[in-house]
Formats: sequence, C-alpha cells, structure tokens
Amino acid sequence: MKLAILSESPADEAALCLLIEAVLGSPFVRVQANLRARGWPSVAQVLPAVIRHLHFNTDAHGLVVVVDSDDSVVHTELHERPDYFHPLCRMCRLRAVFRQTTKNLPMARGRTRVLRGVGVAVPAIEGWYLAGREPDVTEEAWVAGQERGRAPYSRAQLKQRVYGTDRPSLVHATNCAIREIRRLVPDTRRLEHDFPGFAALARDLRTWRSP
Amino acid sequence: MIASIAFRNFKALRNARIQLERFNLVIGPNGSGKSSLIESLMRLRTLARLPLSDLPVALERHGVGPEVSFHFFPPFDGWEAVMMCATEHHCDLLQAIPLPAGGGIEDWPTLRERLLRIRRYEFDHTAIGRPSLLKDGHELSIDGGNLAAVLARWQDSAPAAFNGWRSDVLRTLPEYDDIGVIKSAGGRASLRFSLVDHGESITGEELSQGSLYALAIFALACDPDPPAMVCIEELDRGLHPRLLREARDALYRLSYPETAGLSRAPVQVIATTYSPYLLDLFRDHPEEVVIAQKHGRVAHFTRLCERSDLGELMAGASLGDLWYSGILGGVPDEAGGGSSPKAEPAKP
Repeated sequence: MKLAILSESPADEAALCLLIEAVLGSPFVRVQANLRARGWPSVAQVLPAVIRHLHFNTDAHGLVVVVDSDDSVVHTELHERPDYFHPLCRMCRLRAVFRQTTKNLPMARGRTRVLRGVGVAVPAIEGWYLAGREPDVTEEAWVAGQERGRAPYSRAQLKQRVYGTDRPSLVHATNCAIREIRRLVPDTRRLEHDFPGFAALARDLRTWRSP
Repeated sequence: MIASIAFRNFKALRNARIQLERFNLVIGPNGSGKSSLIESLMRLRTLARLPLSDLPVALERHGVGPEVSFHFFPPFDGWEAVMMCATEHHCDLLQAIPLPAGGGIEDWPTLRERLLRIRRYEFDHTAIGRPSLLKDGHELSIDGGNLAAVLARWQDSAPAAFNGWRSDVLRTLPEYDDIGVIKSAGGRASLRFSLVDHGESITGEELSQGSLYALAIFALACDPDPPAMVCIEELDRGLHPRLLREARDALYRLSYPETAGLSRAPVQVIATTYSPYLLDLFRDHPEEVVIAQKHGRVAHFTRLCERSDLGELMAGASLGDLWYSGILGGVPDEAGGGSSPKAEPAKP
C-alpha cells in the first residue's frame, strides 16, 4: 500500500509510520515523504491542495492526516451521526475537507479517490505517547477537564512528561516519540481505548486493508 | 545575566523598557529598536572594559542625553549599570550603582567579566566559506569569517564540540556525508564537504548561502566555551523555513543547556527575525517573544505573553499569521494607515 502522511513535524511522522504499520498489519510505501503542515489552521487550509496533488500526480492509495486538538472541541460519538458537522471540531472539519475535495474529482491513476485517514490527538500527540504509561492521561480526562473549566494537564506538562523538557530538540523529540510508540505498537487497543481520536484513525486504516 | 534594560532618549527608544528572558526572539518592523537594543548591549560591553566612573551618582544622572540602565538577574541583582551617552552615537560613561537590595555587590569584577563576554553576530556567508588563518581560531568572529580556523582548533583541542557540530551539520544537510577541516602549509584552515553518492567534495566557498549560515549557527551552539550573551540579527536569514526548527533548537541548547544534558551555565540569547515561520515555533513559549513597536519615530517593547487574549487568538490562527495580520503589533507603518505618533497603539 502506498500512503502519504501529513502532520506537523518529522518527529510526529516517525511515530505515525510505526502506528500506521501496526494497525495495517503490514509495511507500507511512503509517498511524497516531504509533506508537512504548519499546524492548525494551516492543515485545513492546505489539505484540499494536498488531496488534489496526491490524486492527480501520485499513485498514493491513501492520505493520513494527524493534528493536535489543542483547546478545540473534542470529537465525540455524537459527531459521528450522519450529516452532523461541528464547526469547532477538527475531526469534523478535516473529514469535511476530504468529502468536499474528493466529491467531484474524476478518476485518476486507476482509483476514484485518495483514501482518507484522519486522527486528532487530544490535546496533543504527546498524549498518545503517554498512553498506558501514565493512566491519568486520556482523552476522557481531558474532556472532563474541559467541562469543569480546568484542564487536567497542559501541553507543556505533556511535553515535560514525554521529553523531560518542554523545549525538546527535534532529534530528542523524534527519539522519544519512537521509543514510546515502539512500546505501544505490539497492541494498540489501549491507545485506541484511551484516545478515540486515534481509534478513529485506526478504523479508517482498517477499512483500507480490504478495499 | 541581564534581567531588564531601560532606555531614555536612545535613538528611537525614547522611553522604553524591556524585560529579558534566557531566550528572547524580537520581532518588529525596520527601525523599531531591535538593532538599537543589541547596540546598547555592545556599548555596555565596550564601556565595561574601562574603569568605572567614580563621580557621585547624583552628579552624573541629571543630564538629558541618552541613558541606558541595566538590571541583572541573581547573583548580580544588587547592581544597576547605567550607561550615559553624550550623543546618540557616543556613550562614554558607565556607572555601576549598588542597589539597596540584591546580591553580588562585592563582586563587580565577576559581573564585569561576564559583560565582556557579550557577543553580537552578523554572519556573512562569503566570509564563512573562506579559508581562515589558524591563528585566528580562538573564538567565532562577528561575521563567522574564521569558522574553519575555529573548527580546526576544536578538532584538536575540543573533539566533542567538533563532533557535535559535524553531527548537526550532516543531519541538517543530508546531501553531504562527511566534512573535513583541511590545514594548509600556509597556516590556513578550510572546509571540505563530501557529497553523498558522488565521491566528490566541494569547498566551503561553494556551499549555498543558507548552508553557510547554518554552519555558523551550529558552531555557536556547539562552542565548548560560549559567550555569556549571544545577540544574532535575522536568525532566519537564508534558511529554509523547515530548517528554522533546527536553528531554534541550536540556540535553545545555548539558553537551556540542561535540556540537552549539558552542565555549563546558560547563555542569554537575543535573536531578531522577520520570519512568521520562525515565530510559529514559539507558540508554546510566548514569554520568549518580544514585539518591537514603532509609533511614528518612537519605539517600545512589549512581551507577547502580556497579551491577555493570546490563547483565544491562537485558537484560530498561527502566531506567524497573527503577527503578519497586524493584530499583535510589530508591523510597519503604512502610508495613510494612521500610524502617526497619535495613532492608537496595539492592544497590550
């Protein structure tokens, strides 16, 4: 399978490659390895162009997009209802961009469209890295904190827990991300349970295994 | 080292103050005081070489000429250093004033030594790439023109620093798989870069402008005996936006050595930029960003973290885009834009 990944940093990409491979259950070929986004809202702005480019100019089967939720509205089961769209939910927004961009694309490279894989890390991808290691770090805990008006942890605290500093170098961030994801990939069920934003991506990926 | 600087009638900084952190990224339009800030530090360094004025403070501080006052972090927070200038271009007096509270009063010589180790860098790519005299390799020069000689010295006497620099460069410029410092019979050092898969090598003079700037920035970060303070203008100059993270990481290594497992003293860094992409990298640390604002001919500084609605603003846009839009301030006056001295300043 040939896939492209759009995320915010090379450290995230290194971790995502391992996660995608674990969920797909087989290695994949990376297409257009130099894609990169500048964070929200740049991801949503650049995504239509990326999808069109991959569709017409590459033989990519799918595109995986992963963003941090930061303080935005967290995607819930309620948002999964048909025709539901929450304008402040990044999962809803990215899926809508995929929908709108691919709606009228003609067939190209032997396929009707580039497959969609969207994950939203709540509140940041460092949360995923801590899954199973720090039980208080879960999407549920974050949502509960949002409802109380008091976040259970900050992005800086998550970075501190993963990297030992909130100013990690790219090299250090990549090494830590790979270390934590290697711990998780033998069984991703815990990560999927604690982080529905990852489970949604995993569901997307599993539909690709038997297209 | 330096906790704050207060300016009076110093160029465009008529009545301005800046609090400094370990790392400071200064953004703002041309003529908004960024270079004047750095210039004041260089003048402080120059005057620190001279004997202190022994005239009574009251006699000195009554003029209307430019004056710049420096306060320090512990352990030197018991001192105020006041630099007095006859004109905007001629500062000729430094007075060290003991404060009623704070430490380090008995240790002006140590503080003075640190002030003498303030450095400003304005890298010149043509100079960086050239061969340089080995005898000039004591420390990196202002334009980076002795880089090869500095690296040759490290190769012999500080191999860990050299290997760290080499590793940074090869990671960031993957088109090369080795770097050599060649010493010639004429007492010169030059750089050679081996191209991946070609079996060929090129000289430093053949490297691109941005690559040469990156070499110099990494040399600053790997210096085994770094300055007390590093001031670098236009940190982003010549660098691809995706390399800015590496540049920031390199300077963070100076300011926060503990995060890189280093045990040396932190280096205070002041960097200026015009790059929204570089600014984007500071979304988690707005306290490190200083906005230089110009209203007419008068400039002043504000810290980005003083902006109370920053979190809400960043939810909808990147920091770089917010800056470019003008709502953070720190953008050029435009004809007919109402940015006269009477214009309302950006919301603090």
